[in-house]
Amino acid sequence: MEFDPALFIDLFARTFTFWWVILPAIFLGLIVGAIPGFSAANTIIILLPMTLAMDPEVGLIFMVALYASSRMGAGIPAILVNIPGTAGAAATPLDGYPMTKQGRGQQALAISFVSSVFGGLLATIITLLAMPWLSQVAFYLHSVEMIVIMLFGISLIATIAARDTLKGLIAGFFGLMIGYIGADVVYETPRGTFGFLELYDKVPLIPALVGLFAVSEAFFVIEGESILSKRGKEAMQKAGWAATIEGVKIALSKWWHIIWTSMIGLVIGVVPGAGAAIAAFVAYQQSRAFSKTPELYGTGHVEGLIAPESANNGVTSGTLVPLLVIGIPGGATAAIMLVVLQYHGVTMGPDLFMESPELAYGPFAAMAVTYFIMIFTILPLARYMSRITVVSTIYMSPIIISFTLVGAFVPRQYMFDMYLALVFGVIGYVARKTGYHTAAILIGVILGPLLETYFLRALKMSEGDIMVIFSKDLANVLWVGLVISLCIPYAMQRWRAWKAAA
Amino acid sequence: MARTALDNWEKIMFDDYFDELDRRRFLAGSAAVAGAGLLTGLPSAEALANKFPSRNIKVYVPTREGGGADRNLRAFSSIWKKYLKVNFEVSFYPGAAGRVGYEKYMGLAKEDGHDLLFGNMGPEVLNWVVKKPTFNVADLVYFAQMDRDPGIIFVGRKSKFTHIDQIVAEGKKRTIQVGVSRLAHPATLGVLALGRHTGAKFNVIPLSGGKNTRAGVATGEMDCGALPSGGIARRGKNFRILAIFDNTNPIPDKIKDAVLVNKHFGMNLPPLIAGARAFGIKKSVIEKQAHHFKILKDTANMVFNDPEYREVLKKTKVPMALFTKSSSPEEIAKYVKDITAIGEQYRDLLTGKS
Repeated sequence: MEFDPALFIDLFARTFTFWWVILPAIFLGLIVGAIPGFSAANTIIILLPMTLAMDPEVGLIFMVALYASSRMGAGIPAILVNIPGTAGAAATPLDGYPMTKQGRGQQALAISFVSSVFGGLLATIITLLAMPWLSQVAFYLHSVEMIVIMLFGISLIATIAARDTLKGLIAGFFGLMIGYIGADVVYETPRGTFGFLELYDKVPLIPALVGLFAVSEAFFVIEGESILSKRGKEAMQKAGWAATIEGVKIALSKWWHIIWTSMIGLVIGVVPGAGAAIAAFVAYQQSRAFSKTPELYGTGHVEGLIAPESANNGVTSGTLVPLLVIGIPGGATAAIMLVVLQYHGVTMGPDLFMESPELAYGPFAAMAVTYFIMIFTILPLARYMSRITVVSTIYMSPIIISFTLVGAFVPRQYMFDMYLALVFGVIGYVARKTGYHTAAILIGVILGPLLETYFLRALKMSEGDIMVIFSKDLANVLWVGLVISLCIPYAMQRWRAWKAAA
Repeated sequence: MARTALDNWEKIMFDDYFDELDRRRFLAGSAAVAGAGLLTGLPSAEALANKFPSRNIKVYVPTREGGGADRNLRAFSSIWKKYLKVNFEVSFYPGAAGRVGYEKYMGLAKEDGHDLLFGNMGPEVLNWVVKKPTFNVADLVYFAQMDRDPGIIFVGRKSKFTHIDQIVAEGKKRTIQVGVSRLAHPATLGVLALGRHTGAKFNVIPLSGGKNTRAGVATGEMDCGALPSGGIARRGKNFRILAIFDNTNPIPDKIKDAVLVNKHFGMNLPPLIAGARAFGIKKSVIEKQAHHFKILKDTANMVFNDPEYREVLKKTKVPMALFTKSSSPEEIAKYVKDITAIGEQYRDLLTGKS
């Protein structure tokens, strides 16, 4: 795993010659990423007969390009119509959608694309250069440490609750309770399933996601003529190419923000079993915690959009590290890639870097080239994509509901999941109408089961000793970091108030 | 429940029920088809109705995609479809240690032989020992067992443990964390039995699947792990196998320094075959559509003898010795009986009641 510049130059040059595979994979990835319920993992499964028939190198490039572009695609509906395509994009609408409502949808897309591309590209290059060290991250982040990392994400509930403490906390706890439905991870005992077999494997994320965000949004927007405000509509009608260029400039001016939030994604991505949703929420929470203007988050703040988008793209290369170094896939898509590579007789592990460096480093080269090509192909589309927001809600709402219900059905193909999306839609609608934040509910639904998994595992290992959560040095450092990041916004607010008064 | 289940399994598995029924119904069906064909010179409605398979075979898999079941099923079905002349549609129903997939299959599968289940018998039979399903377990019959992969104890290459005796000795001083796929699993039973026999304290931690278990051991969170041997032997450069829960070492060229638990510790465990993936079918199909089942069984046997199948298996990189060359109902019945019996012995530990 030593750095060999000649090998890398050759590899990149070679990967560029596969543009004919990368380009269709990018467009396919953008489409499947943007449709809720579809994802890189299930698309690769559907296309398995094709990828198995391909040369392993070509198949791998195709899968990686599709994976990277689907991650970016998931952000598009999250920004434009408040529908995150996947759980990894669940934090994107927090600031992306308010921007759209203000008529800045095109700008928001451009910011999202630049953050995703540069975040993803940077994480890929860092992965290539620092593979031996990155592969060690998983040796230090065990269950106890992961509990604290989960709490970084879950503490966003407290942030949301800061605006209306009681309602925020009720929404958060409600989400956590929903997240605990299903069989427990130790004894597989079903809890809170109401006898529904479909809930044994936890509340499925996509129906919850599309229900809380999209279906409730469809119910909500139909009460008005457009999803845009009056001023937003005017701004949207005036928007030309300049809005895209402005978005690119804004994103590039926040280059440091893109760098550090993508690094959060990369580190979390390296841990097997963690994922883009955790990374996006943690990055958002950290971005807000260290912001000079935390009060602007949730209102269409640029940094609130950059953080989740660069973090969830940073995860993409990270999930491939455990797959290639120790043969353990970091996520669902990586697991499917493993099946394809195994079929071709490729054995993962450290030896792969010596025996077939083009296969070991190839995914990262393919990912870097994908991001590079993607920025030129997708940026011009921002202007046209954002036009969807001017469609009247009379047409928009039924379209959203139809698409999202199909999306809810696709991953598991249960009719139950379509009904569940509608139930979550009603919950989301009532929550919005009564001032409860749907994002707080969703954070609980997404991160609650993960927190429980790590917590129960740590408890089982300690044979029931709750103090296990303070038993590791690294975890204790993270605990301190968590407390600091929770206190900083409050302390800074007090300090500014004191300074203003002085 | 488990005792009843065991009785039913024995009843189903130990007589010549299938063969008699198969032959009788298959002959009757064949005669009807042939007669109708001779009379008209064209396929009759009955002949068309009896054409099997008349549509794609749907397979319910009670685990997630990307695992050993997925890998094996794809290998087997890629050849089987050649003989059945239809394609396979695979649906994954993970959740609650396989319960969701089984319940879905037993609840939704049509009784015409076109709907099958593909699962890992050991863990899934054990699951019924600890938690009763809503269906009668005797209503599901396994056939075409693809592999016979014993449970093992393994460590990471960087582990300080190089022999099982060291783990046992350490386990007498402190609790050893053992990563397992799930509690109700033959390899888990092996670890618990070894702990009881030697006095070593093993704390089994279910990590939800082989992939997570390997990750737990590889990253050092677990002292050791217990899984089927194939996935670990294939990654021999990352892991070291220290003990085998079988009476012979099936892959001595791949597992060089491991001990046979029974022989080494003077124990008398039945072979704890942790990877025993097989197809399942509703018993009612065998009763009502015997000729369909016979076609399935016969063509599955053809797959076992097909050289192309061996080539496909080689590509999985799983040691070939772990794949079965044929499958007999008697062996499947004995396996299910043994696993159920030992599951009953350790029921308290598997359910956390001790």
